[in-house]
Amino acid sequence: MTSDTPALQLHAVRKQFGRPAVDGLDLAVRRGELYALLGPNGAGKTTTLRMVTGLLAPDDGRIEVLGIDLAREPAAAKRRMAYLPDDPMLYGKLKPTEYLEFVAGLWGLRPEQAEPEARRLLDWLDLSKHAHELTEGFSRGMKQKLALAGALIHQPELLILDEPLTGLDAAAARQVKDLLLSHVAGGGTVILTTHILDVAERLAQRIGIIRQGRLIAEGTLAELRERTLGNSLEDVFLQLTEQA
Amino acid sequence: MKAAPGTTRWLLGHELRLAWYGAALKAGGKRRPGMAAIVSWLAGWGFLHLFAFSLLGKLGPEGLRDPRMGMLAGAVLLVAATFMLSNALKACVLALFERGDLDLLLSSPLPSRSIFAVRLLGVTATTAGLFLYLLTPFAHVALALGEPRWIAIYPALAALAAVIACAAMLLTLALVRLLGARRTRVLAQVVAAIAGAFLFLLSQAYNFIAHSSEGAAAERSLRALAQGGLLGPASPLWLPGRAALGEALPLAGLALLALLAFVATVGRTHRFFVHGLQQAAGASRAPAQPASGLRLRFRRSLFDTVVVKEWRLIARDPHLISQVLLQLVYLLPLLFLLLRGSDDPGTAGGAAAGTAAAIGAGLTLLCSSLTGSLAWIVISAEEAPDLLRSAPAAARTIRLAKLAATTMPPLLLVALPLLWLIVRTPLAGLLVSFTVTGAVIASALVVQWTGRPALRSDFRARGKENFLCTSFGLLTSLCWGALAWTLVTLVTLTTPASSWTAPVAAAALAGALLTLLLAWVFRHRI
Repeated sequence: MTSDTPALQLHAVRKQFGRPAVDGLDLAVRRGELYALLGPNGAGKTTTLRMVTGLLAPDDGRIEVLGIDLAREPAAAKRRMAYLPDDPMLYGKLKPTEYLEFVAGLWGLRPEQAEPEARRLLDWLDLSKHAHELTEGFSRGMKQKLALAGALIHQPELLILDEPLTGLDAAAARQVKDLLLSHVAGGGTVILTTHILDVAERLAQRIGIIRQGRLIAEGTLAELRERTLGNSLEDVFLQLTEQA
Repeated sequence: MKAAPGTTRWLLGHELRLAWYGAALKAGGKRRPGMAAIVSWLAGWGFLHLFAFSLLGKLGPEGLRDPRMGMLAGAVLLVAATFMLSNALKACVLALFERGDLDLLLSSPLPSRSIFAVRLLGVTATTAGLFLYLLTPFAHVALALGEPRWIAIYPALAALAAVIACAAMLLTLALVRLLGARRTRVLAQVVAAIAGAFLFLLSQAYNFIAHSSEGAAAERSLRALAQGGLLGPASPLWLPGRAALGEALPLAGLALLALLAFVATVGRTHRFFVHGLQQAAGASRAPAQPASGLRLRFRRSLFDTVVVKEWRLIARDPHLISQVLLQLVYLLPLLFLLLRGSDDPGTAGGAAAGTAAAIGAGLTLLCSSLTGSLAWIVISAEEAPDLLRSAPAAARTIRLAKLAATTMPPLLLVALPLLWLIVRTPLAGLLVSFTVTGAVIASALVVQWTGRPALRSDFRARGKENFLCTSFGLLTSLCWGALAWTLVTLVTLTTPASSWTAPVAAAALAGALLTLLLAWVFRHRI
């Protein structure tokens, strides 16, 4: 496995729930880039991400995470990535410190490795002062930040986020965006889905647009603009999804 | 006539409509009760009328007017009052902490006094409902038998429910002021559980005392109390009973007391009710950061990490704590039996053998039931299953850790009584240890194999959600309990055991293993 190996590669991946949700999807995300996966509601974005993170098994096709075949070595692949779904995976009756202890245990981190990282993340995300509160009383933004801290505690090479900015206030959204950019600057890869096209326009180096489980366009914002003669990503998105 | 929107009457109608939907949801899962549910309620009520007629018909009109009937009715209302208090406390916790509509109501132009009054009326109705259903058939039958005064059961029960609802609301609000909303939520549920079990405990304590050397003295004291007037027919203790049977003065007194309690509670505490709600809204926010600063305790083993996480979640679940405490309360009579057993000169006698068998079966049933509850919380109601599945952790280790987290608390809980039993009757003690362990493991496995993902908030309704899991759990408990009973009977009796004991033990063991096998077979179909 070389550094040229994509961070994520999907080969003709299919998944059906009565009707096709993901229909022969081919996708490659390079290392060290922030890739935005866009699409209208029901396009298959979340299903794709859930297959990539091992939460759903594809009916057909192959998924490689950092060159590791997900079906053959799921644990090895999962060890190097993190997933943050739309609804944060938290325990209401745990405190942030206890949640991070649990997540670190799941990823098999040694205490001497986990503790400084947990402190750094809690400080960075302004959660240290809430470290002794139960998460059930947290706002949506605080919950999202804690889930993000949990996702980052094992320093994943590939970070996958489903609608990470939904419901966040401006300050929390800014913190999350800074954190994602910093992760990419540090050599990590980020794949995110979002309905806020402005976010994808500002953050993403490449954008993929899927509709009815198929990739209908992919490229940098400039490339997509060129193809559609649109001005903003919103124009591009609407033209592509309506054409298809 | 329809009440104008925004008035107290209109709000009361809304509250009653919600209560009606709530009752229907509890019964059958639909918003409005179906025909079958209404017919079964009515059939049950009809049966209660027949039951009342079978009791009162024998007494005749003279019997119904016997002054001792007031004592009997008083005793019934005393029993009802403890359950009413339990229900009222639960309803207050629900009104204050769990209903999601109070923010909407308090942000509306409706006065907080009206909102509180309607909510308190709702608690009163919840408190009275079941007992009106159970006891009014007696009023109707007495009316048919020529004793119309018994119709006073209606106002007497309503008044008693109002007094108890006010007491429960005041207690809950006082606890909020003293302890804060978070602790109150837990404590009120524990008090409700203990109030529900109070009479059971009282009867068991009486049985215990009656068998002891102090029994005769206790009985003499009771007789003296009765003669002295404290428990006699003229005692004020029986006034609510006499009110329910239509005596004008006690009934007027009870109604006045209820009215005063209601008006005083609404008038004096409606502002504090709002304050209590505001505290409840922030209940999940713990106090500020302690001086010690950030404390992190990372563990080296995944197994330990999962077990600790599960125990933390169990310990912070007020529903579960009250359920566990209630089960512990029911364990107390077993301890009475243990203590009484220790007074016997030996365990070789039939009575001592019966006691040991009862203890064995009781401990086994209790642990099995407790494990079922814990397993539901730990396994079925896992809050972040996707987190576990997306982690590289071995699923087998997580499953084992969850089973350990589920089975260890019940085993620790009964360790002392088991140790005591082993010291006294080693073979019986070891056999009970075997059945308790078997029941605990089997109950956890049944939930792991046949349980469905659920929300923690559905803890109370878990039995209705998954019939197969509930049935297998019940069968498991019964089979292991029967096995404990028969095995201990076999080894503790000095006289030859009955011919049925060994076959029943074998059947119970076969039943327990078969249930487990069936749960395993059905595991992929759920």
